[in-house]
Amino acid sequence: MSLHVIEATDIAFNYGDRRALAGLTLNVRAGSVFGLLGPNGSGKSTFVSLLAAMERPSTGQLSVFGQAPAKALRARVGTVFQENALDPLMTGAETLHLAGKLFGMSNAAIQEQSARRLGEFGLADRANDGVAKLSGGMRRRLEMCRALLHDPELLLLDEPTTGVDPDERRALWKALLDRGGGSRTILLATNDLAEADEVCDYVAFLEAGRAMATGTPAQLKQGLKRESVRVVWDSPTPEQLATIASWTGEDQVTADDGSVRITVDDASAFVPRLFALAPGAIRSIVIETASLEDAYFRHIARRGQSPAGTA
Amino acid sequence: MSAVGAVGALFGRDIRAVVRSRSQLYSSMFTPLLFLIFLGNGVSEGLEPANLKAGNFTAYLVAGVVVMTSVFSATFSSASYYKDRDSGMLRMLLSSPHSARTVLFGKSLAGVCIGVVQASVVLLLAAPFVEFEWQYGLVGGLLVAGATIVLLNVMLSGLAQALASRVETMQGFHLVMNLALFPLLFFSGAFFPVDNLPPWLEVMARINPFSYAVDALELAAYADGTAGFFGLAIDFAVMGALAVGVYALGLARTPRLTWSGK
Repeated sequence: MSLHVIEATDIAFNYGDRRALAGLTLNVRAGSVFGLLGPNGSGKSTFVSLLAAMERPSTGQLSVFGQAPAKALRARVGTVFQENALDPLMTGAETLHLAGKLFGMSNAAIQEQSARRLGEFGLADRANDGVAKLSGGMRRRLEMCRALLHDPELLLLDEPTTGVDPDERRALWKALLDRGGGSRTILLATNDLAEADEVCDYVAFLEAGRAMATGTPAQLKQGLKRESVRVVWDSPTPEQLATIASWTGEDQVTADDGSVRITVDDASAFVPRLFALAPGAIRSIVIETASLEDAYFRHIARRGQSPAGTA
Repeated sequence: MSAVGAVGALFGRDIRAVVRSRSQLYSSMFTPLLFLIFLGNGVSEGLEPANLKAGNFTAYLVAGVVVMTSVFSATFSSASYYKDRDSGMLRMLLSSPHSARTVLFGKSLAGVCIGVVQASVVLLLAAPFVEFEWQYGLVGGLLVAGATIVLLNVMLSGLAQALASRVETMQGFHLVMNLALFPLLFFSGAFFPVDNLPPWLEVMARINPFSYAVDALELAAYADGTAGFFGLAIDFAVMGALAVGVYALGLARTPRLTWSGK
């Protein structure tokens, strides 16, 4: 049996004239949580749709469980879409019953698994409520229950926590990552770098349909300067930014709306120089250790853009 | 993986949705019944039509109103396709191990079932108030009427599915259904006899699928000889062929499956 659940080699895919994937190569290890990170339009959702056999690659080799993705393979896959896929007129229990039947489960198995999943995701007492009455976070949790009902070996999650508050998000991931000793593989397509840093074993940075870097979050952060300095600064001049870049290297400075982010070796030496450069203009400074976001900006060469903020 | 359980679950879900949506449940029957009560009685009293097989216009309208109910029902049932697409449910259904055809089959089966029940209810509601002759006997007449209603609804379900998978919006779908089907209702014998029409209108009636359903229903319910406008054999041959052909077309035109659901 292969070490990898997903093997993609030089995958290309076009939507009409638009190239969505352009030579994507990556492998996803069995039992891991693998994050696909990249700006909108980088090919994350397209790749997930290929894995779910909803589209076929134009060129390249793609295998899931050692086979080309096909309809029958979906029996081993659970999917959570970026937007809700629930009927507001159905109850939670009815939603799970329908999903179970679509995945060939018996009534007894559906009942047992529904009770288990609803319990895990804190919805046991809301099973007979209409979906329309559930909060946004509860709907996302119901989606998770649905996706996990048939105990899939591979879970495809496309922005699963969009619109979910921090408490709900934490509870959701706790239930997702508690795999009961099983070896479910999770593929997470997300724009949320902090979330990926927290939950992913491996990460790939995608840009323009290619994997720009792949590895564990620790590997991707390696070689980064150690500290990230976020400065809220009134109108830094281009000359001032150029001076900072001359100290740190140009690719370590990111100017955004009203703030500047600088990655440095030693913040304690850097900050006094900064105050000397812009006396009276600096409103606040936050110093953080290097994060996956720093790694992201290093590999995805888009200055001043966070993944969620790009087109 | 067995598709039977999936089809059954989809069928049950769509039936449950219609039963819960009272407005949809009743509205398909309400307008046709209004036609029957007000138009039928009004024309019968005011014009006293002499050459209607059924004896009065209210009884005459029953066959057409049953066909009209089926048209309304098919139109409303197909709205569930748009609701499922817009709520994301269609994407969820289509991401299961079953083919898009299996999913559509389960949904359309529910549409056919609802249409058959609604058209039959209209027929049964009308029965006590008009004088049906049941020239093949009550059981024979009901069998002919039942078979006609089933074939008609299968055909309409296929047509609605074929359109829904290609027309982008629900409003556009309703517009196309109304534009295409209402003229057909007028030239089917639903509201006036087509026996003595000008030649061009008679051609319209002969190429009109609804004419065969109206003819079969009239033959089942009234005693006017067994010839009818076409005759039962031709009615069922045409309706059977259309039901199979159009339903197959509807299932063949499956929606394109995409991750985004658009």
